[in-house]
Amino acid sequence: MRTSFVFSEVVTGLRRNVTMTIAMILTTAISLGLLGGGLLIVRMVDKMQDNYQSKLEVSVLLTNDVSANDKDCAQQPCAGLRSALETTSGVETVVYENRDKGYERFKQIFEAQPELVKLARPEAIPATFRVKLEDPARAGVIVQAFTGKAGVKAVNDQGEFLGRLLDVFNGLRNIVLGLALVQALAALLLISNTIQVSAFTRRTEVGIMRLVGATRWYTQLPFLIEAVVAGVIGAVVGVGGLALMVWGGTRVSGELFSSQILPPMGLLDVVIISPILLGVAVFISALTGYVTLRLYVRL
Amino acid sequence: MIRLEHVSKVYKTSTRPALDNVSVEMDKGEFVFLIGPSGSGKSTFLRLLLREEVPSKGRVYVSNFDVAKMSRRRVPRLRQSIGCVFQDFRLLTNKTVAENVAFALEVIGKPRNTIVKVVPEVLQLVGLDGKADRMPHELSGGEQQRVAIARAFVNRPLVLLADEPTGNLDPDTSQDIMLLLERINRTGTTVLMATHDHSIVDSMRRRVVELDHGRIIRDDARGVYGVGR
Ligand SMILES: Nc1ncnc2c1ncn2[C@@H]1O[C@H](COP(=O)(O)OP(=O)(O)O)[C@@H](O)[C@H]1O
Ligand SMILES: [Mg+2]
Repeated sequence: MRTSFVFSEVVTGLRRNVTMTIAMILTTAISLGLLGGGLLIVRMVDKMQDNYQSKLEVSVLLTNDVSANDKDCAQQPCAGLRSALETTSGVETVVYENRDKGYERFKQIFEAQPELVKLARPEAIPATFRVKLEDPARAGVIVQAFTGKAGVKAVNDQGEFLGRLLDVFNGLRNIVLGLALVQALAALLLISNTIQVSAFTRRTEVGIMRLVGATRWYTQLPFLIEAVVAGVIGAVVGVGGLALMVWGGTRVSGELFSSQILPPMGLLDVVIISPILLGVAVFISALTGYVTLRLYVRL
Repeated sequence: MIRLEHVSKVYKTSTRPALDNVSVEMDKGEFVFLIGPSGSGKSTFLRLLLREEVPSKGRVYVSNFDVAKMSRRRVPRLRQSIGCVFQDFRLLTNKTVAENVAFALEVIGKPRNTIVKVVPEVLQLVGLDGKADRMPHELSGGEQQRVAIARAFVNRPLVLLADEPTGNLDPDTSQDIMLLLERINRTGTTVLMATHDHSIVDSMRRRVVELDHGRIIRDDARGVYGVGR
């Protein structure tokens, strides 16, 4: 296979049909941008769930004194609190997370924002009991029983709030992925149509190629590569747009993130999902191209 | 080199056969005219050899290819050993003369250095040296047909098929094209030319196979067009 020949065929093919090529690239970009947005929300929800472990959890934050001095929860009041929690009915597990572990977790959650991690000192993180309940509705009992006890700074029932928040985000994710799907369908049809038009405008060339004994690969590969190139450019544009939006988003909603309710999505997250988007673009465009050539174009 | 055994071809859209029980053999290095009125089946004959169509009945052989039976995968091989010229030249209008000829080699994966070497050679053979960088629309009809012949011959095919190659040319130019086809024939290439141009057939005195309504009605070793009429 002469690569220079295929390459020049692809370039002329894309240039000959500039408006269509641009439409194809933009539609693909928007579709992949939406898909990327959906994936970011999925990541965000994952991180949120990871952050608060699950809806069934109650966190008992310990005072600074305990956090600083009782690494293994061996002394009072920590040890007493633990056995009290463990013997409370409806409690499934009690996990002690000391200050160092808490800090590690914090760093992991905010990996996309290294400046935030740098700012935060471990001393600001309290040691915590993570209490899993058999029945999340009974969280109130724990909150009442342990708030104000010696060594306890605060008791948080994240379950209720988190549950509602997750519902909102999952709904948002579904909408975004739905839009991505619709847009992907549009991209698919455009790719297919572009290949058909492209094959039609080049029917003389293709006719001669067949006549002089070019193989199926030689006649079809330029069209296939044309579709894939447009798909890849679309993916790059889509990832770029997504990165821009995430970057702008974190600047605007910095407040919301620093309140630690939402795990922030940074450029790193975009980088992590971009191979997925690129792969989807290549796969979809190649498959669409192949199917179109098989079914609709007689080369 | 070319052999048809009881070949019939009925197109899906018509009831009358385009070719009707045709059996004929042409040897390596022969120059054969395929004549007959419009609609007698000349183009169908050529398309069967190229496997652009498959016969409804009978067998077709070109060189050692069993054309009708071979798998689609091997068709490019067959076509690489056949050169083709048409009445309407079929040049690529956005490529130069040299690029048009080179195209035929590029798309079958010939290496660059071969192409650079053989394209000027074949352009010289057809009498187009010095016009390599012209665009097709800057050439006369006869010159355009020379480009088409160069493209058909550049890969040194065993067989050259020409479907009314002089149909769009004036008599003098047609004579020049015939001289060129003769020269190609002298290199050992079998030439099969479909035509209904009386004067050309009469002046060449080569083998003539005449078709009428899809049947062979005459096969003369040194024929003229209108014998017996
Ligand atoms: N693709 C086709 N579909 C249907 N009928 C065809 C097709 N090509 C040719 N024919 C018919 O087959 C007959 C022979 O045509 P053709 O081989 O083109 O003759 P010639 O080249 O001698 O003029 C004609 O009756 C023509 O109408
Ligand atoms: Mg014809």
